[in-house]
Amino acid sequence: MKAVMHLLNKEIILEWRQRHSLGGIFLYVLATVFIIFSMIKNIAPPVWIALFWIIVLFAAANATTRSFYQESGNRQLFYYQLSHSLSFIFSKLIYNLLILILISTITWLGFSFFTTPMVKNYPLFILCIVLGSAAFSTIYTFVSSIAGKTPNGAAMMAILSFPLLIPVLLTLLKLSAQACRLMNDTGYWKDIVILLSIDGLLIGIMIFLFPFVWRD
Amino acid sequence: MKMNKGVKYFGAALVLYSLVFGLLVPLKPGVLTVSPFNIKTGKENKIEVTGYNTHFKSSSQLEVYLKLDDRQFLKASEINKIGDTKLEASFNIPRFLNSKEELIDVVLIVNSDLDGAIVKPSAVSIKQDSINVSEAQKLVNYIEVPKLSKHNSFSFPYRLILEETIRNVYYHVPLWFAMLVLFAYSVWGSWKYLKTRENKYDHIAVSSTTVGIILGILGLLTGAIWAKHTWGQYWSGDIKQNMTAISLLIYLAYFVLRSSLDDDLKRNTLSAVYNIFAFTALIPLIFVIPRLTDSLHPGNGGNPAIGGEDLDNSMRMVFYPACIGWIIVSLWIADVYRRILNLEKRNLEI
Repeated sequence: MKAVMHLLNKEIILEWRQRHSLGGIFLYVLATVFIIFSMIKNIAPPVWIALFWIIVLFAAANATTRSFYQESGNRQLFYYQLSHSLSFIFSKLIYNLLILILISTITWLGFSFFTTPMVKNYPLFILCIVLGSAAFSTIYTFVSSIAGKTPNGAAMMAILSFPLLIPVLLTLLKLSAQACRLMNDTGYWKDIVILLSIDGLLIGIMIFLFPFVWRD
Repeated sequence: MKMNKGVKYFGAALVLYSLVFGLLVPLKPGVLTVSPFNIKTGKENKIEVTGYNTHFKSSSQLEVYLKLDDRQFLKASEINKIGDTKLEASFNIPRFLNSKEELIDVVLIVNSDLDGAIVKPSAVSIKQDSINVSEAQKLVNYIEVPKLSKHNSFSFPYRLILEETIRNVYYHVPLWFAMLVLFAYSVWGSWKYLKTRENKYDHIAVSSTTVGIILGILGLLTGAIWAKHTWGQYWSGDIKQNMTAISLLIYLAYFVLRSSLDDDLKRNTLSAVYNIFAFTALIPLIFVIPRLTDSLHPGNGGNPAIGGEDLDNSMRMVFYPACIGWIIVSLWIADVYRRILNLEKRNLEI
């Protein structure tokens, strides 16, 4: 746990030294939001939700691809000697989770700035963002650890992770529609349970599989 | 999987059996159409009935009933056999019916010694001009429950909408079972590879994934053809169709990942890891989400599951062997492919 905190600290310091790359992602998000709202004036709520998650999806892919790419071969070896594989992946996972929550919040703020607020049930939507970010960051972190070893990492990242993300996205769409009161489903806690169980399952299998990727 | 020769032949025989019997055994007789749909009280109504696989002309004893409720049946006063699949029945509908509703949905029953009793629910709708229950009870020309004969020859059930496509149960469903077995087997191969780093386990994973994808595509195609007949279009965005498309994308990504890496050890390890990860991500996709959302498939969203009434004994006799047969044969195909991979590998090493 201490190792995780240290590694997390290291990630944040490194990120702070390269402020431009994180700032670049935020700018990417804001520019996309601006483009969307200059193209569509009166946006319908279902489109609003779909666009929101699409922007988060792509921005998250951009943000997390770096997590293993920026580590050069020598540095990997250094980490390998210093820390346990699990503390390494967990530091990456928590770091990506924080970044993703930040990205989705900024996207949300941007969306609310340009349109009338669509979200009616704030706690539920925030829960959506947190659970969605958790699932996104688990899949993206793990897949980027695989894709980081291939020659064409960025394309590989999209190919490998997008199909895995579709069930999460579909559940998120349903839950956010609920948060915007587009539909009235009293059984929405089932979707929350699905998201939670997907998160748990993926994190579990990641703990189990990452040592094999790491040793390589 | 190394299999006994006997098991292989047994599997092939089961597939052959399911193909031959699944296609040859006729459907039970049924009623296709009844016209006109709306009939009126207080006069003689002629109804034309079109049958399917029926023997109206050659049956010596033929009765047609309209069932108003469990105890009231109207018998046709006159039957005109036009052909084996066509007849005209005349009914004298009394002026008042023993019901308080204006429109009554009526079940049509054709009873013959050759075809047995054929039932068509909501076949016609009788419109009462005026309602008078007490008067209706005086006009007794109802009969009690008629004696119905049974259809004896071996046949598959006739179901509305499904009709002949009911046979697809023997091809569409076993393909999915076989696909799931192969994917699970490939995960086992990947897991063994990560443990032992022996190439033969990687070959198991690759061969069974390849065959599994082919089965998945076939399952999707047979399902699409079936959907065209029953749901009206090839692709209706049903949750199970979407999930299948996603799982095929995932496994195609597996092959893209493999082809992008040159180093043997790296490729095998990473693809094994991705295979296990993808299969785990598929579990909620295949087993959980479809059960919680509406679907057009049987067993979801209020649709009856396969089994019970739809899968009667005559179908079980083909369906279960077909499942076992397809699983064995697809494991066999995967095994042949695995041996090819082994030989290619050995060839490269020489």
